[in-house]
Amino acid sequence: MSAHLCPDLEVLFAELEEGEGPALDHAAECEACAAVLEDHRLLEKDLYRLADPLPPPTLVASVMARVAAEPVPQRREVWSGLAILMTSLVGGLGYLVLNDQALSRLGTGVASFVVEGRLFAEGVLSGARALWSTEGLAVAAILAFLLVTSLAGLKRLAGSAPTPSEA
Amino acid sequence: MADDAVPLPWKADVQAARRGDPSAFESLVRSVQRQVYGLALRLLQSEAEAAEISQEALLRAYQNLHRYDDSRPFDLWVLAITRNLCLDLLRRRTKVRTEELEPMKEVLPSGEASQEEGAIAREERQSLEEAMATLSVDDREVLALYYVQKRTTKEIAQILGCAPGTIMARLFRAREKLRKKMTTEEAPR
Ligand SMILES: [Zn+2]
Repeated sequence: MSAHLCPDLEVLFAELEEGEGPALDHAAECEACAAVLEDHRLLEKDLYRLADPLPPPTLVASVMARVAAEPVPQRREVWSGLAILMTSLVGGLGYLVLNDQALSRLGTGVASFVVEGRLFAEGVLSGARALWSTEGLAVAAILAFLLVTSLAGLKRLAGSAPTPSEA
Repeated sequence: MADDAVPLPWKADVQAARRGDPSAFESLVRSVQRQVYGLALRLLQSEAEAAEISQEALLRAYQNLHRYDDSRPFDLWVLAITRNLCLDLLRRRTKVRTEELEPMKEVLPSGEASQEEGAIAREERQSLEEAMATLSVDDREVLALYYVQKRTTKEIAQILGCAPGTIMARLFRAREKLRKKMTTEEAPR
């Protein structure tokens, strides 16, 4: 009968979910705990009987009217891909324009490649050397970042096209 | 391969809606509108606000359809959006008008069963709804999702964005508060 022997309610209800346990065994012999369980059973029965109310009958039409004014989700995707590409392009150009040294070194590299007809590999190497001698890692990191964001943009563009399995 | 065996009934509609098929999105809206509105009403306790937020949530779902991972249940995703919008509104509401808020004045939803059920059952349901309406939003949301919408603890965790292991304890606390309110109401001593 002593109340301090009764199990914690949380434990009791957890065992009720599982269907067995020492707390449940105790409740079978204890009036107080049996009453709590009965209370709980009735409350759950009532709770389960509650239902979601019906939404206003105009809800679907209102939503669809607002949807009609929106761009198609897939086109939105294409635009966001293009926006990423444009931003990274503008960022790259902006960096080159603002950084005279890098621009002139790159320009020299490109000019010498075109004019003297050096091997492509050599041009690339000289470009890399130019970058390395001016800003070193910083430039390399920025260019790598721009490359990655451009690829992300391209991936979004490519990913948004319906695949054969979808069609 | 094993994933293909799991039926994803919303997937075809989601893909068609992404390509701009309005009827596909409309059928998605129809499939979730009752749950969305039901949750919004229990959280906001105002029919007008619940209708407004439901509209907003469904529109946001459309706007973000390209970001939605369609291997996850569509209804859970929309319910998570709905819940976030409701909580935002509640936060703004407490900031704007703390005093003038009248709790639970137009709470009681009318289930379909209301015509068949007897007067006593209707009264019981009414008092249960009233007691529930006095609980905190945190308590109301787990009770509504678990008992009214019959969701599993795992699904509820997905909607609330928390660990599934915490749901049972939250449910226990909410139910205990409700049980105490119901017993003091029934037998005032
Ligand atoms: Zn006991």
